[in-house]
Amino acid sequence: GMAALPRKRFYRARAHSNPLSDSHFPVPVSPEEFDYSLHYPGHQSGDSKIEFADVGCGFGGLLIALSVMFPGTLMLGMELRDKVTEYVKHRIEALRTTHPSQYRNVSVVRTNSMKYIPNYFAKGQLTKMFFLFPDPHFKEKNHRRRVISPQLLDEYAYVMSVGGLIYTVTDVEELADWLKSCLDEHPLFESVSEDDLAADPVVGLLTTATEEGQKVARNGGQTFPAVYRRCF
Amino acid sequence: ENEAAPALVAVHPNHEFVSVSIGSDIRVFDLRDGSGVKLVDGDGGHRDSIRSIRFSRSGKLFVSAGDDKLVKIWDTITWRCVSVVVSEKRVNSLAISNDERFICFADKFGVVHLVDLRDYKSSDSFPINKKAVPILAHYCSIITRLEFSPDGRYIVTADRDFKIRVTVFPEEPLHGAHEIQSFCLGHTEFVSCLAFLGNDRDGLRLLVSGGGDSTVRLWDYASGS
Repeated sequence: GMAALPRKRFYRARAHSNPLSDSHFPVPVSPEEFDYSLHYPGHQSGDSKIEFADVGCGFGGLLIALSVMFPGTLMLGMELRDKVTEYVKHRIEALRTTHPSQYRNVSVVRTNSMKYIPNYFAKGQLTKMFFLFPDPHFKEKNHRRRVISPQLLDEYAYVMSVGGLIYTVTDVEELADWLKSCLDEHPLFESVSEDDLAADPVVGLLTTATEEGQKVARNGGQTFPAVYRRCF
Repeated sequence: ENEAAPALVAVHPNHEFVSVSIGSDIRVFDLRDGSGVKLVDGDGGHRDSIRSIRFSRSGKLFVSAGDDKLVKIWDTITWRCVSVVVSEKRVNSLAISNDERFICFADKFGVVHLVDLRDYKSSDSFPINKKAVPILAHYCSIITRLEFSPDGRYIVTADRDFKIRVTVFPEEPLHGAHEIQSFCLGHTEFVSCLAFLGNDRDGLRLLVSGGGDSTVRLWDYASGS
């Protein structure tokens, strides 16, 4: 029969999750130990690896759109909240049933990306990383919990291939300034030109594909996208 | 949370001294004549448990640090504390670069800080307060060991979350150490010790690690394999 899409109201969780508290979820010891066949039906060893990572993927809106736009590319969502991860899992399962042969290139894991990114991805593996509407952690003493920081950018640069792109967007201007400052100052990232942004079909998804982005648009808020390239 | 500090032992590279730290106390024995050495510190020494002590490669410097958030640098000719670095957080491990121009220490939040000693002269007559600069971090992890590679090109940091990170130590490290060379991943428990196997063997750069999973692992640290 028809696989019903999961109803968000049964998966609601607080928007803010404490990345410092130790939730218990399995983490691969190394990228070689990550079980691709569990996430991508029909995946054989030796097949291509994950290239896109959506950090803090929320309810999966971006991933679903990317899955269709890049059907030959494997992508993974990473989400800290248990219930939200379950929602995305069920959403993907339902879409695979209603659209056979599609959505087999997208999956999700419950994990803390700020601690375990190198466990999932090898050096230079990713060609795109996404950070959509990250938690602003307004208080000065909580700035170190921000998912993008000068130190964490070292790890993101490590898992990204040279020429790969990091996409960020926020509706919080103070956070946008922080993101731009961190990325501008990091020696392994350079900003992407306006021309390149205009030519990239992914950029439009940053503000339209996700529930968060749609909410901001409904409320007439301003969004601040920033895209940077992993350089040498 | 604050465990009693274990006693630590450090041996001078030319076997001139043995140093033992117990609690907040440092005791130094001159092995040449078997005498105890009196340490000179206008500040009265460390005020809380010492978590790491090391001699520099030539032995001319000795560094101690711990729960009092102080990193003390000692001249081993006079055994005077010649410099103090104040850390924002408790310090749990440290390393001295082979050329003795830099000290790196890790705080309890997993941030590694750098102290620049390039302008240090042993003839300076007063303790200098130096500032440290953060250069890299293991997010919310306790770094158990820091080591510089034998050729000084890399700094290796190991943590309680089973990870070993190998980072390029740049020419100008004050701007941070941003280029990660590799991760050595395989331990299934905290990593507690690191040692380099001299220089390259057959083109492999060898690092040995041990940890809470009761394994000792050999790595080619340039590739992480």
